[in-house]
Amino acid sequence: MPLWLGGFQLSGTASPSPLNLYELRRSCSSCSLAELCLPMGLGIGDIQRLEQLVAPRGPVNEGDHLFRIGDPLRVLYAVRGGFFKSYMVEANGREQVLGFHLPGELIGLDAIWPEKHQCNAVALNTASVCELPYGQITDLGRQIPGLQHSMLRLMSKELAISHALAGDFSAEERVAGFLVSLSSRMKARGHSETNLMLAMSRRDIANYLRLATETVSRVFSRFEENGLVSVDRREVTLLDLDKLGKTGSCFAGVA
Amino acid sequence: MRPACLPPQNLLMGGGVRFDAAVVRRYDVPGPRYTSYPTALQFSEAIGEADYLKAARASNDDPIPRPLSIYVHVPFCTSPCFYCGCTRVITRDRTAGARYLSRLQREIELQARLFDRDRTVDQLHFGGGTPTFLSDAELAELMRYMRHSFSLRDDSRREFSIEVDPRTVDDARLGAIAAEGFNRISLGVQDFDLEVQKAVNRIQPREDVLAVMTAARRHGFQSISVDLIYGLPRQTEEGFAHTLDQVIAARPDRVAAYSYAHLPQTFKAQTQIKTEHLCPPEVKLALLGITIDKLTAAGYIYIGMDHFALPDDELSIALADGSLQRNFQGYSTRAGLDLVGLGMSAIGQVCDLYVQNHRLLDDWAAALDSGHLPIWRGYRLTHEDRIRRAAIRALMCRGELDLQKFGERYNVDFSSHFAAELANLEPLEKDGLLEIGAGRLTVTPLGRLLVRAIAMQFDAHLNQDSDSGKRRFSRIV
Repeated sequence: MPLWLGGFQLSGTASPSPLNLYELRRSCSSCSLAELCLPMGLGIGDIQRLEQLVAPRGPVNEGDHLFRIGDPLRVLYAVRGGFFKSYMVEANGREQVLGFHLPGELIGLDAIWPEKHQCNAVALNTASVCELPYGQITDLGRQIPGLQHSMLRLMSKELAISHALAGDFSAEERVAGFLVSLSSRMKARGHSETNLMLAMSRRDIANYLRLATETVSRVFSRFEENGLVSVDRREVTLLDLDKLGKTGSCFAGVA
Repeated sequence: MRPACLPPQNLLMGGGVRFDAAVVRRYDVPGPRYTSYPTALQFSEAIGEADYLKAARASNDDPIPRPLSIYVHVPFCTSPCFYCGCTRVITRDRTAGARYLSRLQREIELQARLFDRDRTVDQLHFGGGTPTFLSDAELAELMRYMRHSFSLRDDSRREFSIEVDPRTVDDARLGAIAAEGFNRISLGVQDFDLEVQKAVNRIQPREDVLAVMTAARRHGFQSISVDLIYGLPRQTEEGFAHTLDQVIAARPDRVAAYSYAHLPQTFKAQTQIKTEHLCPPEVKLALLGITIDKLTAAGYIYIGMDHFALPDDELSIALADGSLQRNFQGYSTRAGLDLVGLGMSAIGQVCDLYVQNHRLLDDWAAALDSGHLPIWRGYRLTHEDRIRRAAIRALMCRGELDLQKFGERYNVDFSSHFAAELANLEPLEKDGLLEIGAGRLTVTPLGRLLVRAIAMQFDAHLNQDSDSGKRRFSRIV
């Protein structure tokens, strides 16, 4: 059984199981994702106050939902391992992918008003999360200005991405931007920036980038022909990160 | 992603193969042909329809979903060739074809809905049995349904091949087959010697076969392949040499020379072959020697195992540029296709899952009649299987394995991961089958003929099997 960690499939027998990771990262102060997550920029005292509210939970199985549209906002989720997808279902039943969430990212921020979830969140592979009780976190935020800022920062990032998606970008720019953004997020998590194991399907990528599914595949093929990437099933190797960065810069900067 | 190709000097020089009777005799042990790794012996009924449905749907999700390769098994033959080890049904009832087709359409329908329509079918192979047991009208109907259900490629990149029994076709039939989009044919020749043909119950005059080849060229088939078998009853060195000369004169693009495996306990038809008519081991070995000598002297390149091809054939080009592949049909030029098996006993492979259909006609039909895919058994590759498969493929298809690159690709330290295997290879190295050194394994021209013996060292399942399991494999020669 492959272990997925931050979207990367680890192989070999020496790797810890998800359960061991869960043991290892019981607290924010010892969590390797703290620099990306809510505790970013907080002093150690504040982090310790925060971590008393945080309840690690896991593992979440592939296909399991954290919440669905209309569920009351009870907790926010911080991804600790694995990949999540958030999506809406439109009136005509069509799915609209809103985002992919990596370890260290917060899910559920869109529910702050009107305290009901506005989308669904589903695990794309075996994952784990920390639960942050919303009411208590906001109370704590009044006492720790840094925490409030941290939440605003994460929310603002999501807004920027949705603005970028609405922009007038070509298919190449969108796919390149997506790859470069994923690459830099992986790098920030201590993983390879060139070897990506995509947890999301091409359908989800296409939906997220507002492209036709076939178009996404055609762009990947073109990138492969031009020596920018090499693709083996879900494994994408970025061969020319510079060129991809230039192609996707207008889109990747925000994502 | 395939490893960078290496200078294939060991593959192409002097036809790329060297025959040494003494060494061949020493390594003539039963072994798998590695058209798959692990072999079908590992397939288990624990794998079934649900596993396949999941794997097939997931295969649509890759950023670049793999094109499809479809194998269609037509099991019928009107008369039994005594040497045959294929899964087949002997019947003279022509209506069997129509009944089979109606089930096959159901199977096509169930399979086609699993795969996104933007996934083209780049490879199509009709095997048997005898695909040309079907009439022109039946074949046309089947192809019409295939085109309706799958996105069959229609440009020159397509590889659509069909096994043809020369006794069943004439010029008009070949024209009809070509019109359906087939651009490759393989002809079962075995031996032109009439005494041999009588002994195996397959009489087909040489003139008829050569006429079929001429007609096939006229109808634009890009690749013509001829199958020969050595080690058949009543075969002689002189007779087989004569057959080879006539085949070479007709210049088929590919020649496959298979070793006859006499396993009458497994293949019932073979009990019809009189043991006293079988050629003695030293003659069989000599036949292989003659085959290699004549084909390489005539300019054919040794592709691997039983296969030879002209230098401008795609297989030779693929061998030279390192893109050669091995699949259930032998060697192939296309990498990374998901394989859909249709028809009784057919094998499919999607991602890391192998599946095989029921091998009895009634079981296959009953599953389809109840609305299910007729999957009998299968196997899911483990991570370790994938590493070993890659090692076996590198040795069989490229004749070379770069330890460093392999290690990087599969995230293992080759020398420690395969320490036992490398030690076991030492006697083979002493016998000149391969060279171990300079960070790579290199199969020598002598070893290429016996590459199965090298590959077997990397087969983790073989070592677990009992001796009775090993006896289920054919010998190398």
